Amino acid sequence: MKNIKNIALSLVCIGVLAACGSDDKKVAAPVDTGQNQGNVQTDETTVVHPTATIESVVSANADYAFAVYTDALHSAQSLQEAVDKFVASPSENNFMAAKQAWLNAREPYGQSEVFRFREGPIDALTKDEQGNWTLEDGQGPEGAINAWPLAEALIDYTQDMDGNQSRGNAQVYQAGGNIILDSVSFPQITAELIREKFELDGEEANVTSGYHAIEFLLWGQDLNADLTYTAQRDYTAGHRPITDYYTSANLPSDEANGRTCTSGEQGSFNEICERRGVYLKAVTQLLVEDLQAVVDAWRPDTGFHYQEYVKAENAAANLGAMLESMGRLSFGELAGERMSIAVRTDSQEDEHSCFSDNTHRDIWLNAKGIRNTYLGLYTRVNGLEQSGASIHNLLITKGHEELAVKLKAALDSTMGKVLIIDEIAKSGMSFDVQIQNAEHKEHIYAAISALGEQTDLIQQAIDALDVSAEDLKQDTEENI
Amino acid sequence: MTYTLKKLFMLIVIISLNACGGDSSSESNDKKDNSNKSEQVTTNNHAFNITVNDGLAPLLINQPDATEHLSAGLGTTNMVDQNAYSQAIEAIVDEPQLDAVFKAGDHTFRSNHDGQGPLFNNSSCQGCHIKDGRGQVPSTADEAMSSMFLRIGDSLGNVEPTYGDQLQVFGTINGRSGGVIAKYRGALDEGLAYGEAYTWVEYERVTGTFSDGETYELRKPIYKIKDLAYGDFIDDVQFSARVTPHVYGSGLLESIPQQHLLAYADPTDNNNDGISGRPAYTSHPVSGEKQIARFGQKAVTGSVLQQIAGAYRGDMGVTNSINSAEPCTDAQTACLAQAERENNKHHNGVDLNDVDLAQVEFYNRTLAVPKRRGFDVSTQLWQEEILAGRAQFYAANCHSCHVPRYKTAQAPGSVLGDVDLVSLSDARTNIIALEQQVIYPYTDLLLHDMGGSCVVSKELIDGQSCNEGEQCIYVQRCEGLADGRPEGEATASEWKTPPLWGLGLVQTVNPKATFLHDGRARSIQEAIIWHDGEAKASQQAFINMDKTQRTALLAFLGSL
Repeated sequence: MKNIKNIALSLVCIGVLAACGSDDKKVAAPVDTGQNQGNVQTDETTVVHPTATIESVVSANADYAFAVYTDALHSAQSLQEAVDKFVASPSENNFMAAKQAWLNAREPYGQSEVFRFREGPIDALTKDEQGNWTLEDGQGPEGAINAWPLAEALIDYTQDMDGNQSRGNAQVYQAGGNIILDSVSFPQITAELIREKFELDGEEANVTSGYHAIEFLLWGQDLNADLTYTAQRDYTAGHRPITDYYTSANLPSDEANGRTCTSGEQGSFNEICERRGVYLKAVTQLLVEDLQAVVDAWRPDTGFHYQEYVKAENAAANLGAMLESMGRLSFGELAGERMSIAVRTDSQEDEHSCFSDNTHRDIWLNAKGIRNTYLGLYTRVNGLEQSGASIHNLLITKGHEELAVKLKAALDSTMGKVLIIDEIAKSGMSFDVQIQNAEHKEHIYAAISALGEQTDLIQQAIDALDVSAEDLKQDTEENI
Repeated sequence: MTYTLKKLFMLIVIISLNACGGDSSSESNDKKDNSNKSEQVTTNNHAFNITVNDGLAPLLINQPDATEHLSAGLGTTNMVDQNAYSQAIEAIVDEPQLDAVFKAGDHTFRSNHDGQGPLFNNSSCQGCHIKDGRGQVPSTADEAMSSMFLRIGDSLGNVEPTYGDQLQVFGTINGRSGGVIAKYRGALDEGLAYGEAYTWVEYERVTGTFSDGETYELRKPIYKIKDLAYGDFIDDVQFSARVTPHVYGSGLLESIPQQHLLAYADPTDNNNDGISGRPAYTSHPVSGEKQIARFGQKAVTGSVLQQIAGAYRGDMGVTNSINSAEPCTDAQTACLAQAERENNKHHNGVDLNDVDLAQVEFYNRTLAVPKRRGFDVSTQLWQEEILAGRAQFYAANCHSCHVPRYKTAQAPGSVLGDVDLVSLSDARTNIIALEQQVIYPYTDLLLHDMGGSCVVSKELIDGQSCNEGEQCIYVQRCEGLADGRPEGEATASEWKTPPLWGLGLVQTVNPKATFLHDGRARSIQEAIIWHDGEAKASQQAFINMDKTQRTALLAFLGSL
C-alpha cells in the first residue's frame, strides 16, 4: 500500500512535468519509478502546478481515450491470435496462453470504462441509414463487448445451477439447448450470426458475445473443483477441460490418455467440439471488430468523434462529461452493480468476471481508470507513461486547491481499498469467496463507502468548475 | 358532422400557423394571451367543464399545450427505440447516488431470486415486463404462458379456495430443472409441487364493418384450462386473463394528488354523458391508510410498493416483508411441502430483503416516459395529421376516461425508508424528480363498466360437455371485455382506465406485444373497436369516422 502511494505520487510528478513541457505533442516517457522514488519528497515540495485550461484537459483526455482503446484493441488482437492457435492446436500450452491473453486483454479495457455513460463511441457508436458512423445513445457496441451476466446456458453446455429459466419455445431455450449444440437453428456460427443474436430474441438477459462469452468458452462454468455447484463455493475458477476443443482434425499427437472431444453431459460429438471452436474464434473476431470501430472513432487524425471532442466550443460540455462519467462509474456501476449487489446477495452470477475469477482486477482497473481521468495519466500496456493536463491541475488553476487535494486523496483512498480486495484475491481467495466471508465483506463495504465519498467530491468538482449536469442537459436538448 | 370537423381542421391549421409565427415571444405572454382570449371568446374549446385546482390553464380540445410533447415533463426521455421504456428520469441519472439505486433496482428487476416459487408465472420481473414494457400472448397453444396469466376466483369476487387468486403455470420439483408445468392431479397423486394448470387461448375471428364500408376483423379469445394438478376447480369458477402491462411512469401516476383524480369521478353519472368513473379504494399495506387504488388492471393496489410486493409473491413466488406467505393455499399441501425445502437463509424468513424491495420500488417509480413523436422542437410544430387526430380524440370523447393531463404533487420516499446501495435508513426523502411535473398519461385511474359477460363450461376437446376427468377442459367464453370475475371493488365488467402514454412504442419495444388487458387486440384500432359499455358512444364515433379521420386518430394515438 505504501509503495503504491509512492508510485502514484511520482507518476503525478512526471505527468505534471510532461504536461508543462509540451502541450501540442504528448510524448510518452518511460516510467522509471525506481529512480524517481528518492526524489518524491523534493518534487512534491518544489513543483508548481502548471496552468491547465478546460481545452487542454479535454484534449489530454481524448488522447487517453485513443491510447487506452488502442491498447484494448491490440491486446484483443493478441487474444485472437492465441485463440486461433489454440483452436487449431489444442495443447495445454496453447490453452494456458489463450487464457493469459484474455486476462491481459482485460487490463486496458477495464481502464477504458471511464469513457462510458456519456453518449460516447463505446455507448453510442453505430451506423446511420447511409452506412456512415454516427453516435446514437444506447446503440453502441458496449453491450456486445462487455455485457454481463452472460447467458452462458444459451451458448454452450452448462450444469444447472439454479434452473428456472422458462422463456421461449425454440429448441435453444429447452433444458440443455444452446447455440453450439443446435446446428438446426444455427447451421453456421459466424461473427455476423453472433452479432445478430447478441441479445437472443431481443432479450436483454440473453447475452451471447463479448469478453465474458470468450471467458466462458475458455474457463467454463465456475463450479467447484469436484465439478459440483454448491452454495458454499471453493476457491477455484472454471474447469473447462481442454478436450472440449478436441476434434478429429486437431487431436494432439501427444495425447497420451486417448481422450477425445467432450461436451459435458451432452456426449462427445465431434461436430459440437468443432462448433465450439468456431464459436470461440468468431466471438473473438467480433470483439476485435467492435474495438476497432471504437478506436477509429477516437483516432486523432481521422476519428470523427475525436475531432468533435477536442473542439474548443465543446470543451466545457466534455469536461462535464468526463466528471459525470467518473461519478457514474464510481457509484452506480462499480460500487453498485459490480460490488454491492454481489456482496449483498452473495450472488456469484452478479460477479463481473465469474468464470475466470478475475473480478478483483475489474474492480481495481475501473477505479484506476477514474483516477487516470482525474490526473490525466495513463500507463500504457508497454509500460510507457502518457500524461497531459489534468482536472486536478485545472481545479488548482481555478483556485480550488483544497477541493483538488481532497478529491485526489479520496481517489487514492479508494485505490487503497480496492487494492486490498485485489491482493486478497491474488493470495488465493477470489472475489466470489470474499463475498461469503464476514471479515472480507467488510473490505468490500469499505471500498463501496470510499467510492461514495469520492463521488460526492466529484460532484463538488462539477459545481466548482461550473460544468453542472444542468448545462449538459441543455446542450443535448439543443442538439436534438 | 363532416362539415364541422372540416372547419375544425381548418381552425387547427390556422392555429398552428400562428404558433409558427409567434414562436419567439416569451412563454408567459403566450399563456396570458391564450387565457384572455378564451375567457373573452368562449369556453367551449375546453376539454373539461370541471375545474381541477392544479394551477394549469384549461386543457383545450383544439390546441395542444406548449409542453404536450413532453409526456411526463422532466420525467420524459428522448429515447424512442426499443429501449424507450427502460430509461431513468434525467434528474435521477444526474445524481450518482440516485442513479446507483436505480441501476441496482434495475439489476434486481432483471434477476432471478433464491427462494422463488414453489409456484410462479415467471422467474424475474423483466421476464414478464419485457424491456419494461408489455408481455405477450404465446404464439401457439403449445407454448406455456410466461408473460401473461389467468386470475381465478368466483363470480362474487372470492378467490378459488384451492388455487388462490391466480393460476401459476410453473411449479418447482427438486431435481428437475426449470419451471415444471402442470400434470393432471400430479400434486395430489405424487405430492409434488407441479404448476397449477396449463392455460392457453384460442381465437375466434369476428368481423365487422365501419360506416364507410371498410371491414375489420377482431380476435375473440376463448380461454382454456387443463391439467389441473391440485384437483378440480369450484363449480362457480371464473377466470380473468391478463397480459403484463408496462411499468414506466408509475411513480408519476402515484404522485397525482388524490383530489385531482376524484375531480373526474362521476359515479352516478350526474353529467349524463353515459360515463360514470368511480374510484376504487384499498388499504396501505403498512400504514393501513385508505387510499385510491391506482394500480392493477382492476384497480386493486394503491402504491408501487404494494403492486411490486404482490407481484413478487404472486407472479414469482418470492416472499417479502409486505407479502410474507408463500403463494400456496392451505389446501395445496404439495406446494407447502416444497416451500419448506426452499432456501430462506437470506432475510428473516422471506425470500427478498427490504433493501432489494426498496431498490426495485425506486426503479419502478423513476422509469421515464418516452416523449411524443411528430413534434418538431425547432419549429414548435406538430405534424398536421397528429393535430387532426388529436381533435378526433376529443370529439369522440375519449378524453373523458383517458384524461390527458395532471400535475404531480408530493412524492414521498418509500415507507421502507430511504435506500442506498447497501442499506435502508429511517429517513423518507421525497423524490423531487417526480414532483410538480405536468404529465400526460391519458387515464383517470378510475373504474368503468366496459360491458360484456362470461360463461365458463367444462368441455371435451370436441366441444361436448363433460363433468370430470383428465380430458375435461375448463373453457371460458366472454362477450365483450368482461372477465366475469369481480376483484377488489371492481365488478365483473369493470376495468381501470389504463394510461396511454408510450402507447405508440409498444411494438417497437416488444414486436410481439399486443393490446388490451389480455392482448386480444393486434392493433390500436382493434383495441378501440373492443370498447363497449360506458365507452360505447366513443366506440361508435370511431366506427362512424371516415378513413381519413380514423387514420388521423390512430396517428395521434401512435404518437403518444
